[in-house]
Amino acid sequence: MRPQFSIIFFTTLAGMAQGLLFFIALANLHSQTTPSTFLTNIALPVAFVLLSLGLVASFFHLGHPERAWRAAMMWRTSWLSREVIALPALMAVTIAIYFYACTGEVPQWLWLALLFTTAALWVCTAKIYQCIRFIQEWSHPSTLTNFILLGMASGWILLELLIAIWGDTSIQMIDAPLSIIAFLLLFLAFNLKLWIWRRNRALKPISNLATATGIKGSNIRQTSMGLMGGSFNTREFFHHQTDRVIANLRKIILLCAYVIPMILMAYAITYPNILVIALALLINYLGLLAERWMFFAEANHPQNLYYQRVS
Amino acid sequence: MSKKNKQLALVIDLNVCVGCHACVTSCKEWNTSGSAGPLTDLNAYGANPSGTFFNRVQTFEAGTFPNTQTVHFPKSCLHCEEPPCVPVCPTGASYKRKEDGIVLVDYDKCIGCSYCSWACPYGARELDQERQVMTKCTLCVDRIYSETLPEAEKKPACVLACPTSARIFGDVHDPESAASKAIEERSGYALMPEWETQPANHYLPRSIIETINAARNEK
Repeated sequence: MRPQFSIIFFTTLAGMAQGLLFFIALANLHSQTTPSTFLTNIALPVAFVLLSLGLVASFFHLGHPERAWRAAMMWRTSWLSREVIALPALMAVTIAIYFYACTGEVPQWLWLALLFTTAALWVCTAKIYQCIRFIQEWSHPSTLTNFILLGMASGWILLELLIAIWGDTSIQMIDAPLSIIAFLLLFLAFNLKLWIWRRNRALKPISNLATATGIKGSNIRQTSMGLMGGSFNTREFFHHQTDRVIANLRKIILLCAYVIPMILMAYAITYPNILVIALALLINYLGLLAERWMFFAEANHPQNLYYQRVS
Repeated sequence: MSKKNKQLALVIDLNVCVGCHACVTSCKEWNTSGSAGPLTDLNAYGANPSGTFFNRVQTFEAGTFPNTQTVHFPKSCLHCEEPPCVPVCPTGASYKRKEDGIVLVDYDKCIGCSYCSWACPYGARELDQERQVMTKCTLCVDRIYSETLPEAEKKPACVLACPTSARIFGDVHDPESAASKAIEERSGYALMPEWETQPANHYLPRSIIETINAARNEK
């Protein structure tokens, strides 16, 4: 598939915000453990800005953004429609918690709502891809797990950075455990990615030219796709890059999204430092952009069987 | 969907398609001027032309020289009975008509997100670059129900244009229709049955190959 930059920015930015909000909700589920000023002055505004940027990015995906409101209509059948509802719902819960935190204690049901909406958005986003049964790379539960784990990892590093910037000494005491958890989340996500790539390499396409055309006979090949210029079909379903670019990008993804941030977090376990954490987040985010680009690029669409030869 | 409902479709005879692309050009001509259009062409006379088409004729080869066959293969929306493109549409712009099974796009509701095209394994949908809405074969819905065209012309433009009558149009749920009989008698098959989309359009396999093979076996 052709990587869609609007969706790459949306899923990575919103994913980071979801990770941040998920862990804040988890920490406060029993009783409010994070100080209200941390929530209102830094954590919730940052999460809201990230979600808003993601929302803005997603509009660039549409041919008719002025009709975007219509996309909430088909929530009974469409995961995309459900996502269109889940994102504003998460933003609304974030705003509600902000106002409660400004005036006093945040009620427990709101933390539950935050936990639920962050998880719901992950499910909706991942299911958009996972539910397309003939894109075999996507049609697997690892699509959802990958979105969640990467969102949690980047969200957790962001949380650690915000805590460090906020500079409360009582929280700085637990810097080392924060870095250990960040390292573990990255490590889990790293192994999942390696597993997904192994699975993708081993996939045997279920559709082939024999099923796509029904022609009886051996050695079926296309001699003409029926057009000599381009079309939507030749643009939309392929990444248009060389094998070399793809191979190099895979190395960059492993280094930037996972390995370098893991090294930096390991360093931060013994030598807590704002700059190290900020650097880890920045490099991780750049890696995530590449990872999401590759998520599209490595998805093989069976329609490409019909578009192989120009003559 | 129950089998009692009407399901209009095309049955394409691969025995006689000569790959002349008359169905492609007649489709474009009718639909770019009609209610489904315009089907935009960008840079039509330049080095890299690009345009929206509802129908393409592709060419495939099978076998090994000298025992090869060339198959011309028209491809358009198959109007699936279980269309995977319809439930994924977030706005309801993409829909399947209950009365005749035609899968259509409401251009006034389409937001141009392209998701339905990802959800079609056949590549039957094309986003119009200029109008930024998803387009696809309408089975010439504005011809077949036309109140002004003579009865003989109330058929899809591609069917009327085909010089070898390779395209049979009809209700595949009506066992008495020419389309159903062709499928029944000549082993009509569906594309990519593995995804259980139940395409309404069918293809008639080449019977000449079986005849040749039978003759070879006799020798």
